[in-house]
Amino acid sequence: MIRAILGPLMKNMPFLFGIGFLAPLIKEVLVLSHVSLGVPPLGIGLVIGGTWGAFATWKGRWI
Amino acid sequence: MNASTVTLPDKLSALSSQELMRLEKQIADQFMGGLPWGSICWGLGNLVVWLSLWPLTLSGILPLWIAFPIATLNVMLSYLPSHEAQHRIIAQEGDKLFWLNELVGNLSTIPMVLPYNVARLTHLEHHKHTNHPELDPDIATKARGPWHSILNSIRNRQPGSRAGAAYGATLQRLGTPAAQRAGLIALVFQLSYLAILFTLAWTGHALVAALIWWLPRHIAQTYIQFYLSWAPHHPGTETGRYRDTRSFRSAVGNIGSMGMQFHIIHHLYPRIPLMRTPAAYWALKPVLEARGCRLDGL
Repeated sequence: MIRAILGPLMKNMPFLFGIGFLAPLIKEVLVLSHVSLGVPPLGIGLVIGGTWGAFATWKGRWI
Repeated sequence: MNASTVTLPDKLSALSSQELMRLEKQIADQFMGGLPWGSICWGLGNLVVWLSLWPLTLSGILPLWIAFPIATLNVMLSYLPSHEAQHRIIAQEGDKLFWLNELVGNLSTIPMVLPYNVARLTHLEHHKHTNHPELDPDIATKARGPWHSILNSIRNRQPGSRAGAAYGATLQRLGTPAAQRAGLIALVFQLSYLAILFTLAWTGHALVAALIWWLPRHIAQTYIQFYLSWAPHHPGTETGRYRDTRSFRSAVGNIGSMGMQFHIIHHLYPRIPLMRTPAAYWALKPVLEARGCRLDGL
């Protein structure tokens, strides 16, 4: 039961980390550095964090 | 304890292996025992400092650029007091102060997100099987040189890395109820850590979380794997009591390498407290030379 729940969760953890941590982190960095790209900073964070996390989940590495 | 009171014979090479062992134990015994207050204060004090960084930065009292290096140092310093506890150096089971041993062991590695039970069980396996390609849980830190070691450490932390799952694999191999419990605790630790990071990040404190915990932990893991695992066991090809660990001269000195220059003493006598390993090393050096140990430049 635990394995059935946690297995997929852990497998997709890099993606969740991208959305759950990297996205708001990127947003904060953009806001603090006054970078404006005409898109809400959180949107940029979600795109970068989500894509990077998806890549890490797929490839098994962040870099 | 600063110096050995055991008088060494003129020619150690004339002694039999058993006589040499008796002499070695006689010298080593002098450096064991007593309460390592330094490590106890280090472990608990370090955690208090790291914990205090959270309210100080979240309330804006302490700027993040000051808190970040302090936090990094805190996480780097968090392992060794627990290591003393893992070897029951503070107190053994049945002793009056065993609770203190377990307290230091359990609390000090919280910044590293490393449960004490996991650290203890896997570390004892490392002692039992040092440099064994399959059974040493730390064998993945083996590297060709210092830069390769740093690269290796980063590589081992990637999500798909088999080396990164070495502790879990060791617990599975052990298969005891204690190992199974430790595996479960590790999972709870990891999920709690991520839940805290995510919560802080989505409540507007992502930078604080990144600079007090996430990034310091990565830097500390690289440092710890470099000095506590790679350097003292390099090249990591030999096994056996006198050849699996070495002494070495660190470019950043003994404090900068957290006492690891004398790690060979720890492998020979794990109950000698960290802060007494330099004195024990100098006292035991002639015996180590007679045994053919690797004393690289020290």
